[in-house]
Amino acid sequence: MTSHHPRPTSPHLQIYRLPLTGLISITHRITGVLLAAGIFLLMSVFYSLAQGEASYRNFQILAGYWLVKPVFWGIIFALFFHLCHGVRHLLWDLGKSFNPALLNLYATMELLCAAGLALLTWLLF
Amino acid sequence: MAEFTLPKNSVLTQGKTYPAPAGTKQIRRFEIYRWDPETGANPRIDVYELDANQCGNKVLDAIIKIKNDIDSTLAFRRSCREGVCGSCSMNVNGKNTLACTKSINDFPDVIKIYPLPHLQVIKDLVPDMSSFFNQYAEIKPWLSTKTASPERERLQNKTDRDKLDGLYDCILCACCSTSCPSYWWNSDKFFGPAVLLQAYRWLVDSRDEKTEERLSQLDDAFKLYRCHTIMNCTDTCPKGLNPAKAIAEIKKLMVERQKAT
Repeated sequence: MTSHHPRPTSPHLQIYRLPLTGLISITHRITGVLLAAGIFLLMSVFYSLAQGEASYRNFQILAGYWLVKPVFWGIIFALFFHLCHGVRHLLWDLGKSFNPALLNLYATMELLCAAGLALLTWLLF
Repeated sequence: MAEFTLPKNSVLTQGKTYPAPAGTKQIRRFEIYRWDPETGANPRIDVYELDANQCGNKVLDAIIKIKNDIDSTLAFRRSCREGVCGSCSMNVNGKNTLACTKSINDFPDVIKIYPLPHLQVIKDLVPDMSSFFNQYAEIKPWLSTKTASPERERLQNKTDRDKLDGLYDCILCACCSTSCPSYWWNSDKFFGPAVLLQAYRWLVDSRDEKTEERLSQLDDAFKLYRCHTIMNCTDTCPKGLNPAKAIAEIKKLMVERQKAT
């Protein structure tokens, strides 16, 4: 081989079709980061509480704004999703639930559980 | 480190199209990654149209047909044409597989073929696998003992032999390792699913006596623990093996080992 041309890297993210399990894995990571960011929001709740009644009323008005509501529900769903996949990781660490034929079923169950828990929260509060 | 985009010299361009002869009834369209080391120009996608009735049933049949009849410059690896040698591993429509066992009829439309992901390309569908095989060599993939050699072979009972099923069948095609995002970002330090499955194959072998040495080698934040159970490996394995499970078993052995000390 006399070529001096640097070899290209073959395409990866650009062409790989992630299976459901792979999508869930990256979502677990993204929700983890978002939840960490969500802690600032939680702190702002505490802060407004500590500032007294008037301050908390202002916060309630802000929280009730239609554009802010999806953020809260997003965080709630992210929390439950992260929890469900976290449980999945615990099972994996025990060496269980690796059957290739059932991977998609488990992944769907995780998503349904997270949605169910979010729905339950909505019904209860 | 994770690099989500391709370097400048790896960005794809549109290549040539080789249309099927006029009057072809059942056209199958193949879009294939090409890179020519002689010119060094950016990789391109060449389009080949085949007559489905003139071509065998597997993806490998199609690319052999292309090389024989349309474009002899197309380079790819192949040998056994029956899924035991692991040479013709490539990315077909977004998933790593063996071209020789993958049926064309599994895909209703265009078939897009790329080399295994995130490797250096030598030419067309031929990636550089030397780092992969060096890592394989690092785990010392052979029976290793401390006790004196017996008169005859080292025996193994049926139960212990059964533990090797699903492990010794690995053909080192690298489909799993190159499907793993962790391996994409850290292939210099992370062993990847194929090599770890092989490592486990020697860890569970009842005749092997270097378990402690093997575990001690793997006890590393990168070599073993870059596995985040993404599961692409098990999803993509063309032999239906379960590298993710093997890695989980190594992690369990690691916990037992720590308990013991």
